Amino acid sequence: MTAANSLAKTAEGRQAESRQVLTFTLGDETYGVDILRVQEIRGWSPVTRIPQSPVHVLGVLNLRGSIVPIVDMRVRFSLEKAEFTPLTVIIVLSVKSAQGMREFGIVVDSVSDVIDIEAGSLKDAPDVGSHASAEHIQGLATVAERMVILLDLDRLMAVDLASAEPQPLVANG
Amino acid sequence: MAVELSQFHDAFFEEAYESLDAMEAALLQLDVGSPDADTVNTVFRVAHSIKGGAGMFGFTEIASFTHTLETLLDELRGNRMQVTSHILDLLLKSVDVLRGMLKAVQKKTPIDQQGVADLQFDLELVVAQKGAAPAAPALAAPTAAAPEPAAVAPEASAAAERPAGRRWRIELRPGAGLLARGNDPLRMLAELHELGDVTVTSDFGSLPALADLDPEHCHMTWSLELVSEVDREVIEQVFEWAEGDCELSISELNAAGTAQPAAAAAQAPAASAEPLAAPEAPAAPAAPAAPAAAATPIESARTAGGDSSSIRVSIEKIDELMNTVGEIVITQSMLSQLGTRIDGDVADRMRSGLSQLERNVRELQESVMRVRMLPISFVFSRFPRLVRDLSQRLGKQIELKITGEQTELDKTVLEKIGDPLVHLVRNSIDHGVEKPDVRLAAGKGAVGTVHLDACHKGGSITVEVSDDGNGLNRERILEKARSRGLVGANDVLTDEAIHDLIFLPGFSTAEQTTDVSGRGVGMDVVRRNIKELGGAIEVKSEPGKGSRFIITLPLTLAIVDGQTVAVGDEHYIVPLTAIVESLQLKPGAASHLAGGGGEVFSFRGDYLPVIRLHEVFSVAPRNRELHAGLVMVVEGDGRRVGLFVDDLEGQQQVVIKSMESNYRRVEGVSGATITGEGTVALILDIPGLVRVAGRQRAAA
Repeated sequence: MTAANSLAKTAEGRQAESRQVLTFTLGDETYGVDILRVQEIRGWSPVTRIPQSPVHVLGVLNLRGSIVPIVDMRVRFSLEKAEFTPLTVIIVLSVKSAQGMREFGIVVDSVSDVIDIEAGSLKDAPDVGSHASAEHIQGLATVAERMVILLDLDRLMAVDLASAEPQPLVANG
Repeated sequence: MAVELSQFHDAFFEEAYESLDAMEAALLQLDVGSPDADTVNTVFRVAHSIKGGAGMFGFTEIASFTHTLETLLDELRGNRMQVTSHILDLLLKSVDVLRGMLKAVQKKTPIDQQGVADLQFDLELVVAQKGAAPAAPALAAPTAAAPEPAAVAPEASAAAERPAGRRWRIELRPGAGLLARGNDPLRMLAELHELGDVTVTSDFGSLPALADLDPEHCHMTWSLELVSEVDREVIEQVFEWAEGDCELSISELNAAGTAQPAAAAAQAPAASAEPLAAPEAPAAPAAPAAPAAAATPIESARTAGGDSSSIRVSIEKIDELMNTVGEIVITQSMLSQLGTRIDGDVADRMRSGLSQLERNVRELQESVMRVRMLPISFVFSRFPRLVRDLSQRLGKQIELKITGEQTELDKTVLEKIGDPLVHLVRNSIDHGVEKPDVRLAAGKGAVGTVHLDACHKGGSITVEVSDDGNGLNRERILEKARSRGLVGANDVLTDEAIHDLIFLPGFSTAEQTTDVSGRGVGMDVVRRNIKELGGAIEVKSEPGKGSRFIITLPLTLAIVDGQTVAVGDEHYIVPLTAIVESLQLKPGAASHLAGGGGEVFSFRGDYLPVIRLHEVFSVAPRNRELHAGLVMVVEGDGRRVGLFVDDLEGQQQVVIKSMESNYRRVEGVSGATITGEGTVALILDIPGLVRVAGRQRAAA
């Protein structure tokens, strides 16, 4: 997928020239998500755990009457788990799924900035078999000599939203 | 200008189905021999509007069929033919055929051409034979004078009753720019109507051919007669804005103009005679609609306001509204708590304001809940037809009594209660009510009664299906149960226990299975469906006097009464309906089964397995010793288990939110809710939980 393609695919990329991206940090890396997908940024508050969920799904939160699942991005990207402090931030995003738009919250280290990314400066991620497999990455951009990893939210969350079959527990011998 | 018509298809289908329901209901009210003019008109209007819609969207088969139907209805409406039971049957069949056609077109499957053609032929035949069965003159006489009685006659007679007012004649001839400048003649006519009684005669003389029609140009002219005390200026005011855009003449008729209303009345039928004549010249099928509708603009404006007005709102919007109200409730309770800590001179006023807020918020919440409620008549309305058809087929005479049809319940419950009720009513007709000769021999009236009733009882709704038939056959049920080994040969059962047997799977005592009922799939499905809704069904029967099936349902599926339980730091909600009892075990009261079979404890003579909620959901509990926490005996899928939790907390009503639509299905959890503190709590699904626990144990 070329960068131009990926841009054309996002309906939000109305301006072909540049797009606005909200950046946040996880460990040493800077990630970006389309600003139009961001519903809200809020501080950390304890969530309600959901049984039989993947480890990176922390639980659900009440967001003005809707129930929003919260994903720990550090665990999702196999980074070292961090302590949650009052400074830990949840970004609430809307995600397209097979069942329509869903809301999802991601826990990140901190929110950095809103930046403009020129269409031309978006590069494909090299296939190096990295920890966050390349399919979740829309592209890489260089802003102020820093690399920003643009996430493809719909693909990233598809796994967690798919109605899980009752996970067969390992059968006893 | 290309308009994508398919976007309106859904609306057309939805309306068409509703119209058919209305048509069916009207047909069932129709008395053979003495049809009510209003009812015939209703049926005609429905057929006509479906025809119009179908024609517009290019569903030619439907349009052609409704056209034939309309021709027959028009004959009936004009009293040129009489409603016979044969015609009534044909009309009811037409409703079914139309439903079938709509469904076929909607799902893009082929239409049952043969069935449609057959019925269409029958309908045409009936119309063709009308000469053989002339309309009863007694009927024709009163209505023939005013074929559109609802539309015109009341106006004329009202005018005649009040000769005291001044009579004004108004000629309105709109100019080319009238509509373009935002003037609406209909609004003016409606305004005139508020001044007094108006008789309207419309002139379509200058209406051009469809191809030349300019929709922005008003081609009609009106001549109006107004009976009112008002002065000329007041009338002129009505047309103030249209001045210059239309030709207007206002003249006062003299007081001796008693001849005038008669003339107007004579004119009116002339206008409405047009639609009646048109079907005989089928070359102009669209013609009857326009004049009929247009000749009575004021009439339609008036009925639009008088009808029970309603709007269509998607469930999503209502859910959003409920979410927001839920949030307000939480904010309000937070404010109330804060309010108790405030001191000083404003504290009292603050607190009284807060308590008023609390009251209003509660009312708001109830109103929003009520939006989801619909009267049970939505379900009941299908029964008159069912009872009529079935009793005819079975050769029984049955009167259907419906009461309490205004009782409201949640839309989701409503949708799921229909099929079980149909089953019960069928059973009553098939097995309950006897044939007339049997009834007469038993000293009852020949006509049996099936009674449908609905009412509110506390927080739930009771729906009852009863009949005055033979009642349940106690001996035969018992015999059947014994032969199937469900009951021991020497067991003595109470009447209730015997009646209860009919709810067992595969149980039918019908001597021969009919296509109506008796195939043995039935009462168990009815009970299961009702249980899925959180309801219950019981049967009461008296030999020879009839039986009563009493269904109790929750008012809504959106709210559940729940018991909050604590495990470690987590809180879960157990539906009260699942809870049998909660108890604290003594140390050593539970024993371990050999071979990893888990723990059991004795409860009223039975041994129940213990499910430790903290193990199933892998949370850290406060206690691991059974006697330190609580064991809650819960029932799911007919099985009882002991659920081990740390503690019980409050009981409250909670609003259920789906997990699937926000995240994904989680086994053992039926939904989630938002607590008073604003956090999310999961609602437990006991049968699911038992399954998860069983799997975990098998895997351990």
